[in-house]
Amino acid sequence: MSDEFNQKNTPIKAQSSESTSGSSGSSKDIDYVRPAELPEQDLYHGHSFITKWIFCQDAKVIGVQYFLTAVFTGIVGLVLSWLMRLQLGFPELVPFITAEHYYQFVTMHGMIMVVYFLTALFLGGFGNYLIPLMVGARDMVFPYVNMVSFWMFFIAVCVLMASFFVPGGPTGAGWTLYPPQAILPGTPGSNMGIILMLVSLSLFVIGFTMGGLNYIITILQARTRGMTLMRMPLTIWGIFTATALAMLAFPALLVSCIMMTLDKMLGTSFFMPTILQAGEVLSYGGGSPVLFQHLFWFFGHPEVYIVALPAFGIVSDLISVHARKNIFGYRMMVWAIVGIGALSFFVWAHHMYVSGMNPWFGFFFATTTLIIAVPTALKVYNWIITLFRANIRMNTVMLFCLGFIVTFVNGGITGIFLGNVAVDIPLSDTYFVIAHFHMVMGIAPLMVIMGAVYHWFPLVTGRMLNEKLGKWHFWFTFLGAYSIYFPMHYLGFIGVPRRYFEMYDSPYVTSAIGMNEFITVAALIVGFSQLIFIYNIVVSLSIGKPAGKNPWKANSLEWLTPEVPPAHGNWGEKLPVIHRWPYDFNVPGAKEDYITQTTPPSEVISAEVEKT
Amino acid sequence: MSDNSLNNLPGGFKGMSQDMGSDQTAFKGVQWGKVMMWIFLLSDTFIFSCFLISYMKGRASTVVDWPNTSEVFSLHVNGVPVPLLLIAIMTFVLITSSGTMALAVKYGYEKNRKMCGWLILATAIGGLTFVGMQVFEWSKLIHEGVRPWENPFGAKQFGSFFFMITGFHGTHVSIGVIFLFIYARKVFRGDFDNGKRGFFTTMKSDYVAIEILGLYWHFVDLVWVFIFAFFYLW
Amino acid sequence: MDKIENKETVASTHKIGIYLWIWGLLFVLSFFSYMVDWFQFQGLLRWTLILIFMFLKAGLIMAFFMHLFWERYALVNVLLWPMTAIACFIGLMAAEAKYTVFTRLLYFFIGG
Repeated sequence: MSDEFNQKNTPIKAQSSESTSGSSGSSKDIDYVRPAELPEQDLYHGHSFITKWIFCQDAKVIGVQYFLTAVFTGIVGLVLSWLMRLQLGFPELVPFITAEHYYQFVTMHGMIMVVYFLTALFLGGFGNYLIPLMVGARDMVFPYVNMVSFWMFFIAVCVLMASFFVPGGPTGAGWTLYPPQAILPGTPGSNMGIILMLVSLSLFVIGFTMGGLNYIITILQARTRGMTLMRMPLTIWGIFTATALAMLAFPALLVSCIMMTLDKMLGTSFFMPTILQAGEVLSYGGGSPVLFQHLFWFFGHPEVYIVALPAFGIVSDLISVHARKNIFGYRMMVWAIVGIGALSFFVWAHHMYVSGMNPWFGFFFATTTLIIAVPTALKVYNWIITLFRANIRMNTVMLFCLGFIVTFVNGGITGIFLGNVAVDIPLSDTYFVIAHFHMVMGIAPLMVIMGAVYHWFPLVTGRMLNEKLGKWHFWFTFLGAYSIYFPMHYLGFIGVPRRYFEMYDSPYVTSAIGMNEFITVAALIVGFSQLIFIYNIVVSLSIGKPAGKNPWKANSLEWLTPEVPPAHGNWGEKLPVIHRWPYDFNVPGAKEDYITQTTPPSEVISAEVEKT
Repeated sequence: MSDNSLNNLPGGFKGMSQDMGSDQTAFKGVQWGKVMMWIFLLSDTFIFSCFLISYMKGRASTVVDWPNTSEVFSLHVNGVPVPLLLIAIMTFVLITSSGTMALAVKYGYEKNRKMCGWLILATAIGGLTFVGMQVFEWSKLIHEGVRPWENPFGAKQFGSFFFMITGFHGTHVSIGVIFLFIYARKVFRGDFDNGKRGFFTTMKSDYVAIEILGLYWHFVDLVWVFIFAFFYLW
Repeated sequence: MDKIENKETVASTHKIGIYLWIWGLLFVLSFFSYMVDWFQFQGLLRWTLILIFMFLKAGLIMAFFMHLFWERYALVNVLLWPMTAIACFIGLMAAEAKYTVFTRLLYFFIGG
């Protein structure tokens, strides 16, 4: 085992950081931290090019691998969205986009963005890089399994991309893959396309189970001395809770994928009712399509929180560093994250109000959905109160944080509309839903991702990104994204349906034509303005301002490594020892406006530090 | 494994809040590998739960009668149909193998290599027997016309759920059997005493690995308890 | 792994007796479960007995073979509380199944 648990020598005394019983050391040593429970991790060292850069077991390299692969899939998803918008805004312009192609783009865009881009980026990309650094470990607890998990993800992406090239093309069933249509002719890709999609998802689940085990156990069992759970940055809390959700929600997806594969390949009738196809009665019978929906959304709703919770955690840290203020109500923020995570398993059928499920379910799920809005709103209030009277640095990172708050509030409020059964019935399957989930799951977390890249680029590369380009990038993205999705709410209100290839000549949606053109132009502009970001990254890699150590003057551990960028093993000779939480900013009486987590109390004796 | 210093910690819920509030580890005295297996098993529990929930939903929704499991799964001994005989034997075999595995873990920690190794082998043989009987059952039912897409006894979904659920469980048992044989070899060779580094992970071997494999094996038995109750008995 | 003195390890493993007791109990419970089918109990009695024996067997395996009886509360609670999500799923899917069969009977047979 990579942790050689030495039970002989080390006395195990569970001791909370808040214990004042004096049992911690009668020597009145204010810098005392409990001794190590475990011996040093048996770290793997790669020596060849392949073991250092390809099949690398170092979580930092794996994190960058996940990041690059996820961004690649995200670019594919972005291009697909342009094709969709071209069709919606200027229907005759591109003859290549037939109805079949359009539905394939819709499906692949959705699946890529939700699963392969956002989940992989937050958990695999940010999780792998930041978790060991922020908890004070040298690496993840199972580096070999971690390495395998990335290559599983890579293979899953390859299988997914392969579905573009098989006969029939990729599946066009919508990212929700509802049966019976998904596996019947009439839906694009109902042969090879859907099979490859289901296989790819299964591989993804297996890979992320492996990765998820690493993240959870590193956070729970491999923290450094003095690092209690309540001294971890909120980034870690967000990623940790999201990983726990992933471990428990992906099984439902795996089960539904397996059952749909069997329905297609072996002719079983798990989801397939007695059905007529072009006048011919098929051999299926007795199955239940709504069962698939329940299984899928039992996964699907926690999935959207898997995307949102890391964003919540990261933005809290970005705000507190760049506003030089402790996050307001840290403990409640932690409990809110955990509460949202737990509740997310009890709200799934608010995606199914119009599915024909048991009508009484609406009462239950609308209630739980409104309950889950409470901790979410609490977090928004706390972000705002954190900013109140803070020493705000209006740099690119802070702009993206503010952009997150604005777009998330917008998307969250429309969620309340949709969470109520009666209001949802006319709005379901309209552009209102599309506007809602893009705001809250697309734009808001994307703002956090971009802000996080500007924030942690100096750590990963040792160079700063260009501020001026960053600000141009922000304004284009933020104003552009609002221009795209705000008008969509109006389209939804007047009843424009989603997943429609064209608007037809309906008299009541003539106003939609101009609106769709506007949205398309905005989308193309925003899409192309991301080139500013890519240019910034590529150029700054070589001629960016050297960052030095801890350029943002942050408190959390990842900035406190002896070498920047952090080397293999992260901490050099000695593991760090933690004395406080990462939010000691502008503490009265302190010399600097920040006190790092490793600063012992004896060095800041004059400061009015709270016990954390 | 409990030792003196773990016993000094407060137990119960007070102990739980103190453990969770302390630094470094949340689960005191539990090796990383063991926590990994437990959390993996939690995830696997959700997979099997989703399968069984789908089965419940599918069976409760049929307007066609569900086959009578006592009859379908009976074996004919001297012309007399004995209901669920094969299943009873399979249950006996799996529970026994769970018992031998628990003993193997005990002897492993006591460094008794011979007893440990033989008990792991006994567990593996038990698992192999179970899979063999499951294969026999499958072939018997297929011979009688049960297919994933239809069957002569009742609702279509009977065959689908049967093959899928027992197939998944049988696969889990088979993977366990493979690991059991590998670990038996490691025990007899003394790898756990020497701390020999593993082929893939290059991590040092330790007797806790047998406890971890034991957890997996008991989980497989646990799932069988539920499948037996819900699918065969209900 | 450093060698741990035999004295320490022997003291910390259980005596063989407890395994044999639990093993025996599991057989007894399995036998009772089998008897439920042998005697062809039906309806609520059948299902209640099946569930009771099943949970008892599962509980014995988890507590003693998987050692949870001796583990600290932190681990036990982390493992058991997520089952509430499963319990919620079970309850709701049972209700959904009832509704499905109701609509099938209504539309296919009664012609509603």
